Amino acid sequence: MSGAFTKSMARNIFYGGTVFFFLLFLALSFDTHTQLPKRDMRQNITPQVIEGKKLWEVNNCIGCHTLMGEGAYFAPELGNVVVRYGDEGVKAFIKSRPKDGIPGRRSMPQFNFTDEQLDAIVAFLKHVNSINDANWPPNDQG
Amino acid sequence: MQYKSQAVAKPYFIAAIGLFVGQILFGLILGLQYVLGDFLFPAIPFNVARMVHTNLLIVWLLFGFMGGAYFMIPEESETELFSPKLALAMFWIFLVAGALTIVGYLTVPYATLAAMTGNNLIETMGREFLEQPLPTKLGIVVVALAFLFNLTMTMLKGKKTAISMVLMIGLWGLAVFFLFSFYNPVNVVLDKFFWWWTVHLWVEGVWELILGSFLAFVLIKTTGVDREVIEKWLYVIVTLTLISGIIGTGHHYFWIGTPEYWQWWGSIFSALEPIPFFGMTVFAFNMVNRRRREHPNKAAVLWALGTGVMAFLGAGVWGFLHTLAPVNYYTHGSQITAAHGHMAFYGAYAMVNLMMISYAMPILRGRAANSNKSQVLEMWSFWLMTIAMVFITLFLTAAGILQVWLQRVSDTPLPFMVTQDKISLFYWMREWAGVAFLIGLILYIVSFFVGGEEEKAK
Amino acid sequence: MNRAFFIWGRSIHPVRLLATMQRMSEISPATEQASASSKRLPGDLAIWFFIMAELVAFAVFFSAYAFTRAKHVEMFNLYQQTLDRDLGALNTLLLITGSWFIVLAVQAAHRNDQKAISRNILLGFLCGGGFLAVKVIEYSAKFGAGISMSTNTFYMFYISLTFFHFMHVILGMVILAVLWLQSRKGVYGSHDAHGLESGAAYWHMVDLLWIILFPLVYVMR
Repeated sequence: MSGAFTKSMARNIFYGGTVFFFLLFLALSFDTHTQLPKRDMRQNITPQVIEGKKLWEVNNCIGCHTLMGEGAYFAPELGNVVVRYGDEGVKAFIKSRPKDGIPGRRSMPQFNFTDEQLDAIVAFLKHVNSINDANWPPNDQG
Repeated sequence: MQYKSQAVAKPYFIAAIGLFVGQILFGLILGLQYVLGDFLFPAIPFNVARMVHTNLLIVWLLFGFMGGAYFMIPEESETELFSPKLALAMFWIFLVAGALTIVGYLTVPYATLAAMTGNNLIETMGREFLEQPLPTKLGIVVVALAFLFNLTMTMLKGKKTAISMVLMIGLWGLAVFFLFSFYNPVNVVLDKFFWWWTVHLWVEGVWELILGSFLAFVLIKTTGVDREVIEKWLYVIVTLTLISGIIGTGHHYFWIGTPEYWQWWGSIFSALEPIPFFGMTVFAFNMVNRRRREHPNKAAVLWALGTGVMAFLGAGVWGFLHTLAPVNYYTHGSQITAAHGHMAFYGAYAMVNLMMISYAMPILRGRAANSNKSQVLEMWSFWLMTIAMVFITLFLTAAGILQVWLQRVSDTPLPFMVTQDKISLFYWMREWAGVAFLIGLILYIVSFFVGGEEEKAK
Repeated sequence: MNRAFFIWGRSIHPVRLLATMQRMSEISPATEQASASSKRLPGDLAIWFFIMAELVAFAVFFSAYAFTRAKHVEMFNLYQQTLDRDLGALNTLLLITGSWFIVLAVQAAHRNDQKAISRNILLGFLCGGGFLAVKVIEYSAKFGAGISMSTNTFYMFYISLTFFHFMHVILGMVILAVLWLQSRKGVYGSHDAHGLESGAAYWHMVDLLWIILFPLVYVMR
């Protein structure tokens, strides 16, 4: 039967097309993995950076902030915060958050980090800032 | 209903609606925190409320998918469910695990929760949408596997239709891509790269198969159009979905340290993503126009048409607005993203679940359709929730455009918090639209308890 | 309520395109052949949807190339000269020949020449294989010189477009292989050339895309 529209053909194209585009995606992902060492600054991932990433995660920082634009949009971008505030500025800011917040305004919770933890967090944020992310964000304000 | 075992869907649907209410309440808390920054602080900080809001969304959608699948698969396979007992056991496990997780979020600081639940064994927590503690994540895997086992066994002993095949591929894909949530390398670029394999390949990949399959099922049932016709269009649409959506993952690889060719690949393929959504809208309207009978459940038909239109607007149009790399350079991680996220999730996934519930619940309660009175109320809730969501999206888009302008485009960029203060009017309007949404949701629930003359079950 | 919905339901404008295509697909073969066999869409409507989607993807990619090139004409011209146009021309020849064999296969099917169907599909397949071999030679020279998608914008487009097309040639060959196996079983003939025509349509698309890609990326300046 010619000039038709058959379910079996539609099904074969669905399976074939899906496999095809998934393989293409895998090929691109593979290429990405060969290129990433030039961009992600993995040589600078020290135990301190790893500790900083862990602190970033277990305190759910992504629940308010963005990091390279991903996360929540309630609080500033932190991928470049070390540029905005400087290392010491970042630590001072985190340390000085009032326990009960600021009346009427958004406030970061007081996490009671030790100095070592603060150093680790800053090390992590500095590492993120060093990643080649195609010049994002557009300016220092994030 | 045709098969006794379809009844296991009922608790899933009820739980889904219950969790949906929770999601909306926390959404309102978040909206208020946007304008009254110290609201509930420090008892429920923003990040906790957001985690509850998004996790409840995911869990209620999963409950809806599971309920829908338990309802659909026996009917499609023309046989009883392999094990209704297993389905019920998994329901309670999932519900208790979900509830405990939410209680954990609300009662213990997140870092303590991480320490208590063995995050040191495999560090998976603290990434957006994948915040669940390790036991919860493992629980999701167990529940998903038992669920898939149950349905696959059912299908193996019964008929294998195109609709159920597409659904099962979607559900298996859901389980497989969730496994990437256990992979959290110390390299933040790799972390983000594979995080999207769960998040993007869910919502812009396999979940769309579930969506298409649910829609096709309800359209067959309510319009009486030939299964053959509906199934071949379903195949065409899901093909378009995956050929645009898989490489479309690239639109998340613009600014996270991945190579710059993704700006091209991601822009080009994600620009095609509206096409399948448009196809879905055309499909739904066309089938309803060609209907061979008047199904007494008008509300379900309304949801079916609604999900087509709103998914196209939210996921298709609002996605396209900021998917091209040169635009996304400025809009990435702004309120534009939030606007798109809200309408896309509501239009595609909340509505398709509500459609399935609307179609299946009357049948599970022993009638072909609810009374006229009840359906009128349900349609009111449809319009209230949908229009409220349109306004939420419009206000967030306005906020986003201003934010991008003030903070990123202008010659004298303003700091984040200064910008936020300047656009707070739109956040207030969004909150009021959210209240309207809640009223719509309350009406929706009330519609279940409205009596009147019901259509008899066949 | 019923009425309200009904009115609303009626006010929906049917979407013509889909309806037309649906009607097209439901015409019974007999009436169709009787009315106008020249207007018949060869192959399955489903493959035409797929071809349309692929063409759209390529069209957007080609336009992106053209616009970007317009912005960096000198750079594009400079690196274009590093491409091997002779191998590209050879590949054009291979694909056109391949397409020709597939046309012969379809014609053979319509006159029930079973042997010629299989033979021509196989020859078409071999042309595809030749294309891949030539492309591998070309790629190995480029990759050997350390060129990748991240080298510069021109090479990004060169590799993306040619590799995307390369994958399509492979898919086309997989389809031809299936057609060949089917043809050996005598599935195709004047009674049914539906599957063969669908595969042929796809293979011609692969050819067509190269005929646009080759001048665009290798030759035009």
